[in-house]
Amino acid sequence: MSREIRLNAFDMNCVGHQSPGLWAHPRDRSWQYKDLDYWTGLARTLEAAKFDGLFLADVLGVYDVFHGNLDAALRHSTQVPVNDPLQLVPAMALVTEHLGFGLTASLSFEHPYTFARRLSTLDHLTKGRAGWNIVTSYLDSGARNIGLTGQAAHDDRYDVADEYLEVCYKLWEGSWEDGAVLRDRDRRIFTDPAKVHPIRHKGRYFDVPGIHLSEPSPQRTPVLYQAGASSRGRRFAGAHAECTFVACPSKAVLTKSVADIRAAVAAAGRNPHDVKIFNLQTVIVDATDAQAQAKWQDYRRYISRDGALALGSGWLGIDFGRYSADEPLRHIETNAVQSSVDAFSSADPSKVWTVGELADWIGIGGLGPLFVGGPGTVADLLQEWQDETDVDGFNLAYAVTPETFEDVAAHLVPELQRRGAYKRDYAPGTLREKLFGRGAQLPETHPGAGYRDLRSAAGPRLSAAE
Amino acid sequence: MPKEIRLNAFDMNCVVHQSPGLWRHPRDRSRDYRRLQPWVDLARTLERGLFDGLFLADVLGVYDVYGASPDSALTHATQVPNNDPLLLVPAMAAATEHLGFGVTVTLSYEPPLPFARRMSTLDHLTEGRIGWNIVTGYLDSAARGMGAARQRGHDDRYAVAEDYMEVVYKLWEGSWADDAPVADKERGVFADPARVRRVTHESPFHQLDALHLSEPSPQRTPVLYQAGTSPAGRGFAGRHAECVFMSGPSKQVIAPRVAAIRQAAVAAGRRPDDVVIFTMMTVIVAGTDAAAQALLAEYRRYADPQGALTLMSGWTGVDFSRLDPDGIVEHVENDAGRSAMENITRADSNRRWTVREVAEHVSIGGIGPVLVGSPATVADGLEAWIDDTGLDGFNLTFAVRPETFESVADLLVPELQRRGRYKRAYAPGTLREKLFGHPRLAETHPGHAFRFI
Repeated sequence: MSREIRLNAFDMNCVGHQSPGLWAHPRDRSWQYKDLDYWTGLARTLEAAKFDGLFLADVLGVYDVFHGNLDAALRHSTQVPVNDPLQLVPAMALVTEHLGFGLTASLSFEHPYTFARRLSTLDHLTKGRAGWNIVTSYLDSGARNIGLTGQAAHDDRYDVADEYLEVCYKLWEGSWEDGAVLRDRDRRIFTDPAKVHPIRHKGRYFDVPGIHLSEPSPQRTPVLYQAGASSRGRRFAGAHAECTFVACPSKAVLTKSVADIRAAVAAAGRNPHDVKIFNLQTVIVDATDAQAQAKWQDYRRYISRDGALALGSGWLGIDFGRYSADEPLRHIETNAVQSSVDAFSSADPSKVWTVGELADWIGIGGLGPLFVGGPGTVADLLQEWQDETDVDGFNLAYAVTPETFEDVAAHLVPELQRRGAYKRDYAPGTLREKLFGRGAQLPETHPGAGYRDLRSAAGPRLSAAE
Repeated sequence: MPKEIRLNAFDMNCVVHQSPGLWRHPRDRSRDYRRLQPWVDLARTLERGLFDGLFLADVLGVYDVYGASPDSALTHATQVPNNDPLLLVPAMAAATEHLGFGVTVTLSYEPPLPFARRMSTLDHLTEGRIGWNIVTGYLDSAARGMGAARQRGHDDRYAVAEDYMEVVYKLWEGSWADDAPVADKERGVFADPARVRRVTHESPFHQLDALHLSEPSPQRTPVLYQAGTSPAGRGFAGRHAECVFMSGPSKQVIAPRVAAIRQAAVAAGRRPDDVVIFTMMTVIVAGTDAAAQALLAEYRRYADPQGALTLMSGWTGVDFSRLDPDGIVEHVENDAGRSAMENITRADSNRRWTVREVAEHVSIGGIGPVLVGSPATVADGLEAWIDDTGLDGFNLTFAVRPETFESVADLLVPELQRRGRYKRAYAPGTLREKLFGHPRLAETHPGHAFRFI
């Protein structure tokens, strides 16, 4: 029996997510992101292929590093315009039964009291299929635009995040005991007030004295995703994350990243495999290698190099508009970009990467790797990557949507199933039960579980705040 | 030609909205509020009844004035537990084509930039059927939940609200020109950067230097609802509101408020009928007057006076548990909503209320009136309300969910149609087009000035 490979779809409520320019492909529907039909159709496709979840990215900012302006980002629609991901979920939940939803939400933009209710609502309406990708970072412009000034803007964002999570855990896990909701018609009691507790949180950044407004949802705390790659981010993920998302371009880089994350989880007193790790991946798969290669060549004609460099400039923090296409990347002397370039070129250290080649690389699937081939070829590669890196699964970006996902459903999933490397049916229960095969709620080893009894103690303190 | 009567359904993502105790009725499905399917079914029922919209209330706090504790609210489930209303809309939108959605969102608790994007997203996904009920906050417990010692003073919060509105108008109306998204596949150009601009705002309350992240939605600014009937609230509504929602127990209370809102619109340079005005109403309708009265008697058996006083205490800021049940309710001034207290004290000089009478009245349909009878009797009543007060329509609450709305769609609407007082089909287009005949904010509306031409 091979190790199971887990698949998420990776999408965003915008035109063209990780493949700039391909929205203009005749079969691409990403420009229909404003229509519910696109999303409900996608959700059905993913559930038919037994994807664990749909992971929805979000950015509350714009890619304006390239040439120092927004022109390329707007012209090529690189993640702008971008709509709110949250509201896609209820419509997709209505037409599916098992598919999970990983929602990206920055904790910088909403108070934990209202945010916790939003996520509880989502967990109720999906019957326990909600996940939250915790984003702690905010662009400087983003912070300014929500009126964050002074202390919170200057302190370590992970300290703020730790306290934010503490407030959420108290609301989700501690405020309402199991059994608080009686729904007793005869005794005229809906809720037993003795089993509902004000959280009385008084911290450095937040004061939240009251009770959680939502009754307990199936998972209480949604499944927690995180994507932080810095050492402090990894420590945060080690404490809180149940799934992490990385974007490593080579097996060597991914191996190290997976090991580092599992070590951080162990350092936080948890089982290293209590976290599921997904790498960003794009696959172009068809019935045969030749057909897949032909499809790739067709897609490539639509890549927007300026769009790709607008994304790359934003991600790597350097204005590639200042360089010609044949400029070798190693000549660009910036620490930030050098480490990223080293990372994704390490698969082939002898190769000289130019700005133009970077654009082509990003053009389909962003900074993640791209596999092209028939079902056997792609399945071989995925299994090889998993075996060598200890990664749990893949966040599949699309080249052309929903075609990429339909191709995965038609060609790749049956091949992986044949190899015993992919589930034939969903496990029962909530998203957390499907992923971990245990209970619907956080395991005892997770710090959030420490806030279940607010009567006897304040629970473990994650934050330095008092 | 008599004036057409408009109907909204009035609901909330919780168990007990305006009829405490009736969640216990055997046919009531309020306990299923956590599921999507009942909301989808409700939306289909409302669309069948040609309702203009579903108006979703919200409260970010707990009714903890009664007995100075949340215990009574929890026991009787009076608007707690409650869930986020926004998330119900996409699923209902997927199952309907015309029904509008008025979502209550308190502007105190979310910065304008992400909020404006949330509403644009909803307007896109509903294809132009979204409305926003602008709330400036009214439960102290909500303000405390957010870390404030208590909520802002009543007038001061309208100053913040004015500033907030200016920011969201700039984002919705002023950041993208109509022709900015070109989506030209041949040239590989999605948006024309020359037709998109950053908006800036500097004030003591809000600072902004940003692009609106959403491309223009069908309505851009959602249809704006407001419910304030205090003097400051009325001025705000006169400037901004396209629909106003009020509540009071009698025509005597409501008629002057309708006139005052229209005067406030005129004072703000708008036309009196630029504002569509709804009052809260509960209808218990059955085949005959006798059957409807029997239904009311049946419902009354489940009514919960303590739950009613728990709501009333929250609305007025007065702890009704400390008052003599047979004593007359006297007026008190505080920072809670003002109209609830006005309703039972000064608004109608001919009517004095004891605590017991308040409890009985509020336990079905809140502070609003209840019309009971055959389709003809109820239609007579509604017509009289419209004709005597200058109202445009009603926000209908439920006694029993969804039975109340089903009986309206099946029994009352056909009667109103026969009388020529109710539409026989939806008008085409967005919610704003259905209500006013034009897709964007009227030229007389302050948001219009922020358009990117």
